[in-house]
Amino acid sequence: MVFPIPRRALLRQSAAGFGLLGLRGLLAANAAPANPMAPKAPHFTPKARRVIFLFMHGGPSSVDTFDHKVRLDKDHGKPVPFKRALTFGEDAVRGLMKSLWPFRQYGQSGIEVSDLFPHVASCVDDLCVVKSMVGDGVDHGAALLQLHTGVFSFKRPSMGSWVLYGLGTENQNLPGFITIKPSLGHGGQNNWSSSFLPGEYQGTAIGNSGMKVEEIEKEPVPYLVSHGLPTDQQRFELDMVQKMNRHHAALNEHDPDLEARIGALELAFRMQIQAPEAFEVEKESEATKKLYGLDNEATRDFAWQCLLARRLSERGVRFVQCSHSYKWDQHSELKKLHTKNAAEVDKPIAGLLKDMKSRGLLNDTLVIWGGEFGRTPWAQGADGRDHNPYGYTIWMAGAGVKPGFVYGATDEFGYHAEVNRMHIHDLHATILYLLGLDHERLTYPYAGRNFRLTDVAGAVHHGIIA
Amino acid sequence: MKALLFLLTAAPIFAQTPDLEFFEKNVRPIFASKCAPCHNEKMQSGGLNLVTLAGLDAVVMPKDAAGSRLFQAVSYTGRVKMPPMGKLPEAELAALREWIDMGAPRPKESAARRSRETPLNSTHWSFQPVKDYSPPSVKRESWVRTPVDRFILSKLEAKGLAPAAPASRLTLLRRVTYDLTGLPPALREIDDFLADQSPQAYAKLVDRLLASPQYGERWGRHWLDVARYADSTGMDEDHVYPYAWRYRDYVVQAFNNDLPFNRFIEEQIAGDLLPGAGRQGIIATGFLALGPKPLAQQDRIKMIYDVVDEQIDTVSKAFLGLTVSCARCHDHKFDPILTKDYYGLASIFASTKDFRNLGRPGSVSYIYYAPLDPAAYAKYQAHRWRLYGKEIEMEEAMAEDATRENTLLRPKIGAFLTAAWKVRHKGLTVAAAAEEQGLETKQLEKWVAWLKSADLKKWDEATEQNLDAVVKEYQEAYLASGKKWDDQLAGWRRRFTTEVANDRDIPERPKFGRESNPFFAAATFDGGPMELHDSPRVAQLRAELKELQQTMPPEPDMASAVCDGPIIDQHVFLRGDHLSQGEPVAKHFPLVISKEMDAHVKGSGRLELAHWLASSKNPLTARVIVNRVWQWHFGEALVRTPNNWGTTGEKPAHPELLDYLASRFVESGWSIKALHRMILLSNTYQMGTAASKATREADPGNHLWSRFNRIRMSVEEIRDTLLALGGNMDQTIGGSLLPEGEGKRSRMDPDSVRRRTLYIPVRRGSIQAVLATFDYGDATTPSEGRPRTNVAPQALFIRNSRFVVDQAMGLAKMLLADASLSDTERVQRAYLLTLTRRAEPFEVDDGLSYMQGLRQRLGKESTALQAWQSFCHVLLSTNEFLYLN
Repeated sequence: MVFPIPRRALLRQSAAGFGLLGLRGLLAANAAPANPMAPKAPHFTPKARRVIFLFMHGGPSSVDTFDHKVRLDKDHGKPVPFKRALTFGEDAVRGLMKSLWPFRQYGQSGIEVSDLFPHVASCVDDLCVVKSMVGDGVDHGAALLQLHTGVFSFKRPSMGSWVLYGLGTENQNLPGFITIKPSLGHGGQNNWSSSFLPGEYQGTAIGNSGMKVEEIEKEPVPYLVSHGLPTDQQRFELDMVQKMNRHHAALNEHDPDLEARIGALELAFRMQIQAPEAFEVEKESEATKKLYGLDNEATRDFAWQCLLARRLSERGVRFVQCSHSYKWDQHSELKKLHTKNAAEVDKPIAGLLKDMKSRGLLNDTLVIWGGEFGRTPWAQGADGRDHNPYGYTIWMAGAGVKPGFVYGATDEFGYHAEVNRMHIHDLHATILYLLGLDHERLTYPYAGRNFRLTDVAGAVHHGIIA
Repeated sequence: MKALLFLLTAAPIFAQTPDLEFFEKNVRPIFASKCAPCHNEKMQSGGLNLVTLAGLDAVVMPKDAAGSRLFQAVSYTGRVKMPPMGKLPEAELAALREWIDMGAPRPKESAARRSRETPLNSTHWSFQPVKDYSPPSVKRESWVRTPVDRFILSKLEAKGLAPAAPASRLTLLRRVTYDLTGLPPALREIDDFLADQSPQAYAKLVDRLLASPQYGERWGRHWLDVARYADSTGMDEDHVYPYAWRYRDYVVQAFNNDLPFNRFIEEQIAGDLLPGAGRQGIIATGFLALGPKPLAQQDRIKMIYDVVDEQIDTVSKAFLGLTVSCARCHDHKFDPILTKDYYGLASIFASTKDFRNLGRPGSVSYIYYAPLDPAAYAKYQAHRWRLYGKEIEMEEAMAEDATRENTLLRPKIGAFLTAAWKVRHKGLTVAAAAEEQGLETKQLEKWVAWLKSADLKKWDEATEQNLDAVVKEYQEAYLASGKKWDDQLAGWRRRFTTEVANDRDIPERPKFGRESNPFFAAATFDGGPMELHDSPRVAQLRAELKELQQTMPPEPDMASAVCDGPIIDQHVFLRGDHLSQGEPVAKHFPLVISKEMDAHVKGSGRLELAHWLASSKNPLTARVIVNRVWQWHFGEALVRTPNNWGTTGEKPAHPELLDYLASRFVESGWSIKALHRMILLSNTYQMGTAASKATREADPGNHLWSRFNRIRMSVEEIRDTLLALGGNMDQTIGGSLLPEGEGKRSRMDPDSVRRRTLYIPVRRGSIQAVLATFDYGDATTPSEGRPRTNVAPQALFIRNSRFVVDQAMGLAKMLLADASLSDTERVQRAYLLTLTRRAEPFEVDDGLSYMQGLRQRLGKESTALQAWQSFCHVLLSTNEFLYLN
């Protein structure tokens, strides 16, 4: 199918983004191109060009997954021997509880992984496991907001928005910051909002956690699918609109705003044709689908998310988040539900890592896995664990981080991070560093002062950097 | 921030130790006049910056003048001799020596970190009283319609610029109708205005629009943006504010009734305390109550002070154009606003009640809602307590009965099953079996009857050999489940009582998990043999409970509002941390304006704050609102940082006009409608958008108002216009669109709402895509005015959404419905309706041939309606439709 090319030569060259366009600046006769989404030079040579964040909403238990604690095995059932910090569910504190799953060593690195993650364990030599994460939020809302924005008392831009603001994006027909199936709770939109950064840097949500994949596939981005005429008739209709617009612009001194909207209409039309291709996960080979577990009911949802994340990264989307939401909050039924949760994501994640690696994408993409906090080393009620933001595990893989490496440690119970404590601010500083951005220089003036993702804190942890 | 500049600022004004006083009086002036000119932030002569504490520390050894490099230099005893142009007078040298020997006392950072401006000597323009300027004289008197024009024209003339030509009558009609109502002029309104050739036609039009109820919907919405209005708490849990809409409706009515703006301020801050304000006053405090709140924050004190902070931020930005909340952790970096000022206000809001109670650990806090009819509410609450009391009384009675019965019957379950098995498989009579097992015949009959339909396969298939074992298994499983169930109910009753006593959410009666023991469930509930029947006492209580349920009055009207809570004696929180208390502060208002560190308030101090904010003596309040009104008329403000009038804010190009408008506004009794007339009747407002190239080059940002700004419609204007043109608008004013019995997270599809956009409930945690796409903002902080971005997702909405397609269809149907019209006339009418102008003849031809072409492409099956729908969609997609000239 052939569509008339946009008439204005200027527009043809325009690199303006998923509508994100500063076409106004672009079209102003004397102004330099001002597309806010155009790729921008980082502060220094980056190790990673883009990020995929696999978010395990609810808080997976570190002591049951990647942080094996011998002391818990030994003291299982004994009363909590240490002072507890602010605890979410004070009323149901029980004795220490060992991991409900055995740990084994894997790979050359011999990193220990519990039986919850056999597939991820097969990629362990690509992982950089950080066992010393620290956050300040004891409840989900605060913890999610801090993880995503650095702060939980106020609304602040999401890290994806900061990254986009700092680097722009590589594909102008797709949003630069995409969050797949995010939760609408626990901060909801605030977790992918651009807040005071310009609206162009807002994350684009692909569905939400309550929606089924088939539902989302119908219209992954709001209004991307026409409810009017068939495509060729739409072009005919749009030609009429643009004819009137050009006449109107000529009568109004070619106001850059008016010219910009002529461009925006063309861009929207182009996007409508081109963007859906990125979402056609079904077009992947059977082997690939199988690798991710798209063929299995239990793993299908997250497999779809991971595969979509790869397709988007491959097409230059700067920051992609997948959410396994809101699953991991096992105040009770830890055995049953952590087993189920891990089974839903284990294969898709391993599939993503293997696929990215074989395509060379892991060389310049940083993959991050983690929840908003971990869980307590003591039992909550009969068979649960409470929230623990004081010491928990995440891992990273790919561009810029040491593979097959363990960084930091918690105390012998797995409660407080002790060695190489990595606060969320530090994590943010380190992610930005890997992307070639200095977290102290990536600032935006708002309400009379310069703001940053890391507020007034944060330090890059060079110890994990390859 | 290393530069403290502390040596350059004037003496602090607060009580201080004699040592510090010595420093302020005798030492600071020496540094400021003799050292700082070279050893400052910029020059740092010799690498030394003496306007910082760090710089000072490098050269001063406390209590050792002779060993201090500073003293060696100034006493001309060392290699370096300072100041270079001559030794200091003896008196100053003595002062420096004495000071160093005292231990070199100097202000701590917090006092030192003050900006150059101090609260008591500030010269910043916006903190000075409003001046009543006379309108200047101009050369071109004929252009002047109102005094506003003199201010505008005189600056244009000074730059050698001419104002733009007037807008056409229809352009003006479209502009002012949208401006005041957010809707397009209807056909009849167009006809009426064109027919009225009198010189007063436009003034009459303005009057009509100001009197229309849609005016309040439009202008109330502007204010709701400043009030960061939303229908949920946002942040972590995003709970619905079920009564927020009452505040929204109050705002709409306040504008429609032209409630004096000073009164409007007072009601929003302290309407609950204002004599005579009544119900409306309580609702008005929704302004304070409806902010974002982190309900699940477990550190409750921090949560309370985060809410206080949010209120300080909103109040200070909305009414004063000040960023007071910057001073939470330290003195304001740029403006003369002290941390003490911040906590002076915090003291007021911390003494104000936002929460009914703080919830259980691990749970959320409960928001306070104010009853609007206290007597009815007291009755309602009393009834509720009686009802809960009755419910628990009945439950306890049932539990007592159950314990008695179960003690008797549960141990016999094995016997019942054995006896019943023998009845079924051994042909024993019920009486014989009962006697054999020592049971009552009547009770055994129940079991036998029930077992006929019950699905107890294992029991049924038992043999004489294993009967005892099978029965024992049932018996034990029943006892285990019974105990668990009893405990669960007892736990629930305890929690019920505690939650009622603490006025928290009442837990629901637990349900037995049937899958855990189907035998227990079937035997115990739904007519099983172990089911308990109401004793006469329980039956009596049940009847009483039912009576109470049936006579329960409906919940009386409530509002999201505040009231005074326990009065707090506030301390400064060091670095904003509530765990580090500093010195106490009295309730007071920012010193730079109030000039007092103690406002001598009663109660929370909100009432005094309200009066102070709404005072004509306050140099900011009137200016700030006048500036906003200007912004909402012209798309840009006179001070283009409407929430920041501090030193980093914009200085206006027209300070005289600003003060003139503020003076007239106060003089008019703070009448917003009078202010509208002052602005709308000016020639400035009635200019066209076209400007000469020279003008555009000389005044590219239109700071001089050389022409009218072309403005993209807001999302409300777009959506409301589409509904109106599509014939689908429900014009009902006010009320709640929240679904009945709304869930905590219920959302609403805006495309299904036929009311004006203003009425769509907005969840902070999930703002609807169409609103977000068109720059609605996040309803979290006071809006500085909506950005008017121009991005492809907006184009996608206009071109692709079912909503727009449907409205185009509605419009097409309306055009076709009038059989008396020719197609030419239909095109003309479509232009009038969508663009408020007549179509040129060539445009009519283009439209008609477009529809013809489309039908040809679509083929024989195509209908006229299809073509008209498409043509209407074209018109609604044009720039001319979307942009107001």
